[in-house]
Amino acid sequence: MSNDHHHPPAPMVEEVSDFEVLEMAVRELAIEKGLFSADDHRRWTEYVHTLGPLPAARLVAKAWLDPEYKKLAVRDGVKASLDVGVDWINSPPTGFGTPSDYCNLRVLEDTPTVKHVVVCTLCSCYPRPILGQSPEWYRTPNYRRRLVRWPRQVLAEFGLQLDPDIEIRVADSNQKTRYIVLPVRPEGTDGWSEDQLAEIVTRDCLIGVAMPRPGITANAQRPVRPAVRPVHHDH
Amino acid sequence: MSQSTREQVMRHLETVTYLQPALHKPQQAPYPDEIDHALYRAYTRSAHDVGGEADVPIRWEEKQEEQWELNTFATCECLAWRGVWNAEERRRRQNVDLGQTQYLGLPYYGRWLLTAARILVDKQHVTLTELVNKIDEVKGRYEQG
Amino acid sequence: MSKVEHDLTHHAKKATGIGDPQCFRGEAGPAKFKVGDRVRVRNLPDLFYTRSQVYTRGAVGTVTEAVYESPAAEDEAWDNTDKPEWFYSIVFRQKELWPDYPDLYANDTVETELSERWLEPA
Repeated sequence: MSNDHHHPPAPMVEEVSDFEVLEMAVRELAIEKGLFSADDHRRWTEYVHTLGPLPAARLVAKAWLDPEYKKLAVRDGVKASLDVGVDWINSPPTGFGTPSDYCNLRVLEDTPTVKHVVVCTLCSCYPRPILGQSPEWYRTPNYRRRLVRWPRQVLAEFGLQLDPDIEIRVADSNQKTRYIVLPVRPEGTDGWSEDQLAEIVTRDCLIGVAMPRPGITANAQRPVRPAVRPVHHDH
Repeated sequence: MSQSTREQVMRHLETVTYLQPALHKPQQAPYPDEIDHALYRAYTRSAHDVGGEADVPIRWEEKQEEQWELNTFATCECLAWRGVWNAEERRRRQNVDLGQTQYLGLPYYGRWLLTAARILVDKQHVTLTELVNKIDEVKGRYEQG
Repeated sequence: MSKVEHDLTHHAKKATGIGDPQCFRGEAGPAKFKVGDRVRVRNLPDLFYTRSQVYTRGAVGTVTEAVYESPAAEDEAWDNTDKPEWFYSIVFRQKELWPDYPDLYANDTVETELSERWLEPA
């Protein structure tokens, strides 16, 4: 982490934020008091570095190719996650799941007449173990206020215009279940391999604000707010 | 150079003048008979419960993560891993207990961080004296370069 | 100094190798509602904390699943895990939640989870 890359010389007082000072103070005190160890913190950080949307994309690709696996995914998301390398209970360093994400994944199956989209109106609950860290826009009060009541307007802002006869189902992730969307397999993907299919299942498709399309392998281009001292993820 | 302490105090008093509760009233701390059921519910609301509130479209953006934000997330999860709190206690404290002004006014992980500091004191793992001294000490490291 | 002693390992002991909410399975007794039941969300006082959104209060929805047993958020938020209850996934028509929702999109829905204390037969 902080040792792997170049750091500027020790910053002047204006250059360190109040959050950085407080973060260091809290972490050091917690370790000094034995509430957790420096090694716990390092292991957790390393665990977070392994996370991202690829396992969820692979789950969708497998479900498109294998009807039996799709049934399993819809019935028992936690069990189906094992086939894409995610053990909700034992992959995190705790051995009892991540404290904030729990162990109850539900895979929401879209059909030609039902489109799912996920929000957490109360905070920003998100299936980190299989999808990584949530995007900033997902955490905004704006998205949380509006998606649950004006989903068609919000989806249009994300570039999705849906016919009136399609049911939009908003999943409000408010308790211990975490959701990913299993979109409809798009036209033009006949004969594709699991790897090819997984490439077009972007994070945004898995949240439900985008639909997979052949040739589209990244989230829509959006402005990126740069960090002052960014985390460098290896993947 | 850094502002002098007195300059900071004056600037602070000016900033907080603009921080207002959700309902603007000329006289604050009202008489009890002025609080009907609707106002009681509004003032005691949980700040996190925003679903269905009207808002205008904004530009959807991505954000790079700050190192301290990832560290804060790891600290909060380690505190839960080792039983200092559970995730629901954390959410209650960082999304509701802190009140609407801080809820809407601070960055996402800023709330996580303040809550992590608070739990150490509230559950008597650390005295506030120790916390304040530690913050002052860390600040001093940067000031000395 | 008087310091309250907490057993910091109580959750790890219960959930290690099992997971949460799996570790509360079988502790809530029989589920009061079943798939397909029409339920109304009670307008309980929402002082201090809840995860049952205000926008659901008084609305009628349909149970799609009894999903798991867990302490209610209102209790777990103070680390009280003594009384798990059933949680249900409930689907509401948007039109039921928001009277101004356009008739053109009458099929649109919201699905969310509520614990048993919040529900009564509709």
